[in-house]
Amino acid sequence: MDTTDQTTHDGVTLACEQVVRRFGGLKALKGIDLGIRQGEIFGLVGPNGSGKTTLVNAVTGFYPPQEGRIVFEGAAINHLKPYQVASRGIARTFQNVALFKGMSVLDNILLGRHIFMRPSALASLFYWWWAQKEEVAHRRQVEEIIDLLQLESVRDEPVDVIPLGMQKRVELARALAAEPRFLILDEPMAGMNQEEKEYMVRFILDAQEALNLTILLIEHHMDVVTAICDRVAVLNNGEKIAEGTARDAIKDPAVVAAYIGKSNDAA
Amino acid sequence: MFYRLSGVHHTRYETARRLWPVPTDRWQVWILLALAVAAPLYMSDLYLSSYMLPWLVWSAAALSLTLLMGIAGQLHFGFAAVMAIGAYSSIHIVRAGWPFEIALIGAGLTAAFIGCLFGAAALRVKGLYLVMATLAMQYLVDWVIINVPAISGGAQATLQTPDVTFLFVPMQSDAALYYGALLWAVIVTLLVLNIKRTSFGRALVAVRDKDYAASIIGVNSFKYKLLAFFTSSFLGGVSGAVLAFCYYQAVTPEQFGFNVSIQLVAMVLVGGLGSVIGAYLGAGFVLLAPIFLTNVVAYAAIQGWLSVSTNLLAHIPLMAYGALIIGFLLFEPLGLAKIYDNIRKYFLVWPFRHSRS
Amino acid sequence: MAYFLELLINGALTGLMYSLTALGIVLIYKSAGVPNLAQGAMVMIGAYAIWMLASMAGLPLYLAIALAAAAMFGFGLLAERLLLRKMVGQPIIMIVMLTLGLEIFLRGLGPGLLGASPKSLDLGIPLTPVIVGDVFINRDYLVGGIVAMILVGLSLLFFRTRLGTKLRAVSDDHVSSWSVGISVERAVGISWGLAGISAVAAGALWGSVQGVDWTLSTLLFPAVAVVILGGLDSIIGVLVAGLIVGILGSVIPGYVDPIVGGGTRDVVTSLIILFTIMIRPHGIFGREDIERV
Repeated sequence: MDTTDQTTHDGVTLACEQVVRRFGGLKALKGIDLGIRQGEIFGLVGPNGSGKTTLVNAVTGFYPPQEGRIVFEGAAINHLKPYQVASRGIARTFQNVALFKGMSVLDNILLGRHIFMRPSALASLFYWWWAQKEEVAHRRQVEEIIDLLQLESVRDEPVDVIPLGMQKRVELARALAAEPRFLILDEPMAGMNQEEKEYMVRFILDAQEALNLTILLIEHHMDVVTAICDRVAVLNNGEKIAEGTARDAIKDPAVVAAYIGKSNDAA
Repeated sequence: MFYRLSGVHHTRYETARRLWPVPTDRWQVWILLALAVAAPLYMSDLYLSSYMLPWLVWSAAALSLTLLMGIAGQLHFGFAAVMAIGAYSSIHIVRAGWPFEIALIGAGLTAAFIGCLFGAAALRVKGLYLVMATLAMQYLVDWVIINVPAISGGAQATLQTPDVTFLFVPMQSDAALYYGALLWAVIVTLLVLNIKRTSFGRALVAVRDKDYAASIIGVNSFKYKLLAFFTSSFLGGVSGAVLAFCYYQAVTPEQFGFNVSIQLVAMVLVGGLGSVIGAYLGAGFVLLAPIFLTNVVAYAAIQGWLSVSTNLLAHIPLMAYGALIIGFLLFEPLGLAKIYDNIRKYFLVWPFRHSRS
Repeated sequence: MAYFLELLINGALTGLMYSLTALGIVLIYKSAGVPNLAQGAMVMIGAYAIWMLASMAGLPLYLAIALAAAAMFGFGLLAERLLLRKMVGQPIIMIVMLTLGLEIFLRGLGPGLLGASPKSLDLGIPLTPVIVGDVFINRDYLVGGIVAMILVGLSLLFFRTRLGTKLRAVSDDHVSSWSVGISVERAVGISWGLAGISAVAAGALWGSVQGVDWTLSTLLFPAVAVVILGGLDSIIGVLVAGLIVGILGSVIPGYVDPIVGGGTRDVVTSLIILFTIMIRPHGIFGREDIERV
């Protein structure tokens, strides 16, 4: 493990410091320390129930941590509500796609622009003099993201009729529409076949380059993690058991034990 | 044939977001509007003031409610109380010597603030509990109106609307009252249509569909639920005032009772939740279907085809209305708007049936 | 003091009779998760059924009540089979409105067929009040309160029987109940039937107190307050909340009505609903449903 990484704090954009989250008697996060650096793709792996999604929910304000601090760009965000976290420049996608079913793909992505818009009933009433300008301006931005993620063909479709792989892409597009500096992807490739996975990886890398993003990626597909993550942390049972480059972390005995069980002999 | 989708191209984002992209739809809207504006010329005063006018006002009220229930997903079983607040406060504001235009806005604001008070109390809960909380609001508002003579207008509990002018037009003739109602219906319609296509509407729908997903893209769900309550109650309050001044002209608390709230919800559901055209269709249907059915049965009874006691005849509207609600929920839960949509879709590809999508 | 005691006791007994109406709502909610707003109208129909059998057909009272109970059990089964089962999976507003539609329809049907004027239903309870010390207690209320307690007790026992255990399983989780071989549909149907029976009991008692006409359906409102306060899925909650709603709805109007000119009972009921929802939406005994993000 590369210990020098943890000591140097420069370049760290999101830091978790001793984050604890309990549900009743269950301690889901037992004091997690993490430092994610500006511009990197950071992988978060671990068995089911190890606390990955809980950690992400803690960062995004759904389950605020009971102890510890979460610092983003130098300011503590662990007391913020989810919608406030969003306006700080953090966006995320969900494990099971959380799109708005009744709306078209375009409207879903336009919703991603919400933090830049000033919605009001009065503006709507005077649409032609007031709201239209704003709608059109944001539509331009959204079209760029549609271009980037190649969603042109489904632009006007209702989201619930397009295939799952496409829905995940729309969710990514909605997150990108908020122009985040920090993007959290919760299993963006779950349930995808090899081809769809490769597409998704390409889109994630494209987006990172185009928008200069820092990405926190939760993923079970280890091939993807080793391919695109600069560093990974491995969680097990609410604790961080390893951190470093993907290849090193996977070889860590504690990680092997967590995934396969303790072997009598590390042959 | 009539509806042509081919040939409709958008070269600017403005046109892509217009209200009716298909030209036939636009023509229909203009024709309907022209018919509505010309109604006093070809319609008898009786039909104008006892069918057209209340239909327009109730449609506006149903639209206000569909904004809350259909678009924002917040149930409200006390909307008649909101309208009552609007109706009574507008009358009292006019009586206090203010112009009618101010009174209308005042009515909306009063209804919106009291509506929000109940909304804020109830917004911790959703679904069934919201139904119950708004139901309680209905009873409380009813009681206050009935038991405070200063509001309800003394012992006989009837409050006459004073004579007013709106934009220098005296609101006395049938035509003037009708145009007042029409103007309000058009304003509410445009507002709801525009809300549906702008960021405000999108935020409301987002909170309705998945509040956690909405919050992560920066939508403060409490704020938007409250805004939905505010906007909808404002519109409901003004609708109540318009109803009082243009139609009833003398208000009593019973005109805004619990049954009226249910009637409004029925309009919204029978028309189709969240649909603008559905609010018009639903209001018309709920107002007219029971009357129509009673007349049919009465006619049949007079002709001697079936024997009906006057007592049964008196209860047919209630039964018809209950059966109507049940029937729509069972067989067409998306309401009349869906039926309209099916017909429209049929004509979209007519006469080439095979390409129906 | 005697005045207060009288208000208190008669209020408590009225409250127990509210519980009878509320019991039907809870029985259905417990198994099906459906808030049955037609329960008030079912009470009314139950009362009409007894009146028809007793006064029109001339049957002895106990037979009329038994037959009416059987008929309302059938009515409950039918309502579930024909209406509610078709709504499974629809949003709550649709289901609430369906039961309200049923309520409105029944409210037209009963008086429409049988006449709108109130019918008297004589259970053979003497009109003279029971006098304890200075306190006058209405005999109808006394009988009603006792019957309500017995029925609620029976319902509690019922949930310990084999069938009741199945109903409890169904109320917990439909899918797991299916997977262990319980017919969820039948269980839900039976709970509707039982709600029909409890409606007959409520109809008999309230019909004898205030006559049989459409106003019986307005019992829905206090019953709703009872189920909200007690918890939508709690039978013991029905009893406790019934007492609270009955007592508050009797004592407060007893002192306040003369000052403000009446009608405070509805206000008290409304406030009970509002405060419960603000402070503890799931009620005193109800289960708190946890939502997952």
